[in-house]
Amino acid sequence: MILLWVCNGIAQTIGDFKMDETELYAMTKQMGQFMRRFNYEEDQFGERLNPKDPRYHNKEMRRQSLPILFDQEKYGKQTELQRYFIEDVTKDDSTFMTFLGGRWYSEVSCTFKYNGKPVSVILFLAVEKEGLGSKWVLTNVYFSEFNKLFPNGEIAEREKHFLHPMSHELDFMNIYKAFQNPDVIEYYASKEFQPDYLTLFFYEIKQGKMVFQHVDGVKFHVLQIKDWYFEVSWFNRSGLNSGWLMSNVIYMPEKEKTNVIKFYQP
Amino acid sequence: MKKIIATLAFVMCFAGIALAQDELSFERKQAIDSLALEKVRDLSKYVKIVGSKETPFSEANRVIDRAEELFMSDAEIGVSSLGSNQITYYRVRKYFEHLMRLNYDRVEIEWYNIEYVSDLQRQPDGTYVGVITVFQTFRGYDQEGNLVYKDTTKKDITVYVKRKETQIGGRTIGFWDVLLGDMRVKETTNR
Repeated sequence: MILLWVCNGIAQTIGDFKMDETELYAMTKQMGQFMRRFNYEEDQFGERLNPKDPRYHNKEMRRQSLPILFDQEKYGKQTELQRYFIEDVTKDDSTFMTFLGGRWYSEVSCTFKYNGKPVSVILFLAVEKEGLGSKWVLTNVYFSEFNKLFPNGEIAEREKHFLHPMSHELDFMNIYKAFQNPDVIEYYASKEFQPDYLTLFFYEIKQGKMVFQHVDGVKFHVLQIKDWYFEVSWFNRSGLNSGWLMSNVIYMPEKEKTNVIKFYQP
Repeated sequence: MKKIIATLAFVMCFAGIALAQDELSFERKQAIDSLALEKVRDLSKYVKIVGSKETPFSEANRVIDRAEELFMSDAEIGVSSLGSNQITYYRVRKYFEHLMRLNYDRVEIEWYNIEYVSDLQRQPDGTYVGVITVFQTFRGYDQEGNLVYKDTTKKDITVYVKRKETQIGGRTIGFWDVLLGDMRVKETTNR
């Protein structure tokens, strides 16, 4: 099956060294190649297929080639989940991945310095159409210190903190109580309130308290495919199953995706 | 100049004249891929020349000038190794100068035949952006001819493609201008 993507014994000899290219052909070298392979839009040499070519989006070829896009160390070669996924995405109303189709997010793990100390921050980005083309934009951020600022809190405790409904008649003389304990200030907000971590993040950056250091890793969350969610991660390893591969595949009916998407793009 | 005219002729032959379209046809994409690959192959050639210990200093500097011309003026090269995710950033000239000064008695730099060309996407100003992935092996030897360092790197090179116009013999001719942008150099597992 893997041999669909590679050629037997593709090698070049340089001096005393024989450089075998088989693994490099098999490697899913770019996220864009992952999409092309997922949709069957390129041949085994990575050459783009003409949409008029009978092999383009060919269902049978997709069925045969999709297993190589799974992390086979985790999923093996013929697991039930894999079979179910492949059957589902290659049905008559099969779904394809598109760059501008939305509902796919990049997760970029970074190191920042926060108040002078190195901290891990996860940035979420999405492709957004703009002007004549598109660009990646920041949609959310995860930083544990921000989450600690807004713990869920126990309901009994939350119910203790409110401004009674006649406070307006007293010129809100009691509002000082809301500010007495900063830890629970958000209990005085509407039940619709959701902390906006990205705004907090921008604020800290603008204040100079949070300073970018470097990117530690990248992966992708794909929710574009009907009833499925999967992660695509980079596998830097030898063999015929490397590069950008599906590292976590979950059956997820469309209605369950709303909350997941809210996490990446509130 | 001969090279420019030849390139223009090549592009016009495949890409047609002054047709700024939102969607590139399959054939046009292939023509642009060829142009971009030509730049990357030039870059590969320059890396080999500058890296070689047999290249005289003045010749290496001349080649670095040519290499710089392949890139956008603000392009950076981000290099990381297997041992660390941290990326070291170089300007194109600095990257080549670093390559020139590597402390080996002999080096071998070879490029795998594989060249992977991404689809082109448009950025907000309409310029097309793509990425070409190539692989290189590097081997450094000491005075006794012993192999003391070897790596295989994956190089992801940004390619910018813009529709431009020029006047030739009083006629306005449209052409695709291709320039290289940032390049990410990542060490791959030893093969």
